[in-house]
Amino acid sequence: MLIFPFILEFVISLTEWQPIYGDFWDAFASVFTHKINQGVGYNYLITDEPRYLQALGRTVIISVISLCLEFVIGLALATLFLKKFWGKRLWFTALLSPMMIMPVVVGYTWFMLFQYNGPVNQFIGWITFSETNLMWLNTGHLAFIAVITTEVWHWTPLFFLIMLSGLNSVPENPIRAATVLGASNFKIFWTIILPNMKAVIIIAFVIRGMEVIKLFDEIYILTRGGPGTATETISLYLYKLAFEDFRLAYAGSAAFIVLIITVVLINMMLKPIRYQLVEGR
Amino acid sequence: MPESKFTPFNLLGLVAGLLFAVFPIFWMVSTSFKVRSEWVTSPPTWISERPTVDNYLTILAPHILLARRGGTDQGDEDFGGSKDDGVGGANADFLNRSAWPGIKGTVIISVCATILSIVVGLMAAISISRYRFGGNFTPFFILAGRMFPPIAIAIPFVIMFGPKVFDMTDTYFGLIVAYAAVTVPFSTWMLKSFVDELPQEIEEASMMDGYSRWGAHLKVTVPLIKGGIIATALFILILNWSEFLFALVLTYTEVQTIPVQLSKYFSATEGTLYGVQAALAMVSIIPLVVIGFFIQRHLVRGLTLGAIKR
Amino acid sequence: MAKIKLELVKLCKEFGELNAVDDVSIAIEESETMALLGPSGCGKTTILNMIVGLEKPTSGEILIDGKSVLNVPPGQRNVGLVFQDYAVFTHMTVRQNLAYGLKLRKMKQPEIDREIYKVSEFLSLGHQLDRKPSELGASELQRVAIGRTLVTNPEILLLDEPLSNLEASMRNQMRRELRRIQGETGQTIIYVTHDQIEALSLAHQIAVMNLGALQQYDTARNVYEYPANRFVGSFLGNPPMNFIRGKLAEDSGQRVVSSGESTMPLPAGIIGADMTIGSDVVVGVRPESLNLAAADNPGRFTSEVLAVEPQGPETVVTAAFGDSSFKVIVPAGTDAEAGGAITLAPQSDLVALFDAETGVRLMNSGGA
Repeated sequence: MLIFPFILEFVISLTEWQPIYGDFWDAFASVFTHKINQGVGYNYLITDEPRYLQALGRTVIISVISLCLEFVIGLALATLFLKKFWGKRLWFTALLSPMMIMPVVVGYTWFMLFQYNGPVNQFIGWITFSETNLMWLNTGHLAFIAVITTEVWHWTPLFFLIMLSGLNSVPENPIRAATVLGASNFKIFWTIILPNMKAVIIIAFVIRGMEVIKLFDEIYILTRGGPGTATETISLYLYKLAFEDFRLAYAGSAAFIVLIITVVLINMMLKPIRYQLVEGR
Repeated sequence: MPESKFTPFNLLGLVAGLLFAVFPIFWMVSTSFKVRSEWVTSPPTWISERPTVDNYLTILAPHILLARRGGTDQGDEDFGGSKDDGVGGANADFLNRSAWPGIKGTVIISVCATILSIVVGLMAAISISRYRFGGNFTPFFILAGRMFPPIAIAIPFVIMFGPKVFDMTDTYFGLIVAYAAVTVPFSTWMLKSFVDELPQEIEEASMMDGYSRWGAHLKVTVPLIKGGIIATALFILILNWSEFLFALVLTYTEVQTIPVQLSKYFSATEGTLYGVQAALAMVSIIPLVVIGFFIQRHLVRGLTLGAIKR
Repeated sequence: MAKIKLELVKLCKEFGELNAVDDVSIAIEESETMALLGPSGCGKTTILNMIVGLEKPTSGEILIDGKSVLNVPPGQRNVGLVFQDYAVFTHMTVRQNLAYGLKLRKMKQPEIDREIYKVSEFLSLGHQLDRKPSELGASELQRVAIGRTLVTNPEILLLDEPLSNLEASMRNQMRRELRRIQGETGQTIIYVTHDQIEALSLAHQIAVMNLGALQQYDTARNVYEYPANRFVGSFLGNPPMNFIRGKLAEDSGQRVVSSGESTMPLPAGIIGADMTIGSDVVVGVRPESLNLAAADNPGRFTSEVLAVEPQGPETVVTAAFGDSSFKVIVPAGTDAEAGGAITLAPQSDLVALFDAETGVRLMNSGGA
């Protein structure tokens, strides 16, 4: 009776680990087979390297740009929310709504919006006083922008939420002390408020960073990774490898390498606040 | 911040933010009521001039539309079939587009996977929190599990579920297990943060009163974190409901989930059926929005894996 | 007369229905040290905030050097404020904290370093300069907060409850520090406190406040010895002032206050024109202002002793008057025991008569 739950739980976490071990063995095996020249995994890794690295690169660029945009916009909105105005509850719910939508729906919605005869082009036309018929999802760099826009729209509310909570937790008296010493609002923000939010900001970046690297649903729906490989991030690259080219083993080892990189990166990012986190947990 | 005044500039910013946030949703809602001819227009149609519920009927009650048309064999132009669509004809066109299989699949799989995930997560959370199961680094391993691109996990799953091993593709059971396995790290993490808040003395006290170890956990710990369990469950439910990749990869014809179904709304001749997609999207996100509304308070905790408790 | 540095004119602050500060007018001279004394919620912190500029008054004026500062933003009034919780910037080192105000004033680095050096020597923070606040103790943090403000050379220095966050042992030391700072800088200093000992030991002038209204503004000595009303009398002094109810009466040419069987003669000169025989009054007299009287002292009266508490160098005797009691401090070793009698006489001008209803001190009762 006592041990049963432990066993059950162990078995199920095993299922979780199976996939991870699966990749591990693949990568492991490929290292060996490389020498024997049956080269299932590693061999391909080398010949296909440019595409793999490019996918990594795109993933990094999209992630970094998206995160930064989400941070800036989220922070800006959060500071606005510190002031008094009518209907805060309503604005709050409205601003939070993009985050609540399923990724696939988000993908399809923006798919519609980015059509050549869709509202995005219409809007740009209004601003630039010209007819715009950009083929967003069919043009390399435009598709890139479209993907970033979609991701930023979807997840800025998260940053907004976290930043708001961070702003509210900055102690009030040091702010007043700085005011008395003659600091302007801007200076106070820069020298007192932001430094006090360092931990929260890092957490926000890490949390969303972990997810944005794996971004799949929206990109798949918007562009399938195209046109060509223009928006092929690591997730899409692996998907294509596994389910269109059917090079599963190779995909597994490639994925494993991504995991290592991610873990190392996240570790580095968490270093400054490791102490606080361990305390909290 | 010293009470800064709310300037018109601020208002501009807020309004811009609001419009940006709400516009796509508005578009989706509006499109779901548009008639076929308004789906793709140049310039785009913002609000339908002939709003219709036909899109909704298509997905939820196709037989009504079928009846309305008098059940001929012709394909339906309005919905992407062509007049001369011979294969299966109107019946096929209409009934194929019913969303009920997808809804059924999503509901069953999401709910069951959530329950499974919570049960396992709860046991894991208690074990880790109280008994340091798996050593001091298990939490980090769980976090690492979260960093894996789902693709990487999907691939082995496909192999495992494939004909040679377990033969579980395209089954409800298989998907439930897959979904649960993927969300267990999340649920464990969240539940652990709730269990951590309970002082250990409570369980020790009840054990002194005669309960066995797990009896104590069952009768004491669990009821005390009921709120946390519900919040976590709802959160995981949202995750499962929205899951796309695994469904894409592990289902073919027998099992459908809504996300995958959405991608099937196109016809060979007419392209993507935006209106119908929009309608299904509307239908599917309503439960999520409602749930999201209820767990608003716990949202930050869940999304930041317990690091920030607002 | 010395120059008036800071003047509050009919200052009012309302928070909705609540009158936090009600028509307060005070003029403070240059280089003076003043204490705003009163219980929690009496409005003193609000006044402080208004002087420094963190809050705007509902009505009234604040003049520094004769000019209104109502429209001058907080950082530019040349007023410094040290918070009760010090509010040190925890993410900066001590040095950076001290330099904060100077950096804002765009001072050059060598000059900043010089000023920091001066202030850290002055406050004995020299060896802490590169530490983080988390490594410092309470009194050190306070010195950082004071230093941070001093370094900007404010003409008026405000301190909110400076001694209340310190342990007893630190308090004496800080008291000395503050007096030293007072002496050496020549700034006009205002303390806000609810502790009357703090006020009496630190300030020349005391403004006593209650419920938003100014009760009395006078030198520390006068506020203590000649309270303007019952509240002020009760607020200062430990053990607290005695308040004895009775009726004003006349007894063989002397004015007395009587209650029941007890009679207390009032010192000559204490009666003023606005007192009528037979009216209800409250006598305010401090335990230390009642002395043992010889049998031939015309101002003597006798009371029954109720309790005797020896307290080292002194003894506190509780005696009866009418149907209430009062306390008197007598030298240790005085012959007194419960049930016995004690003969006392009030010290001539340290007796106050208060109106029984309003609590206001009646005219001409007592010196100043």
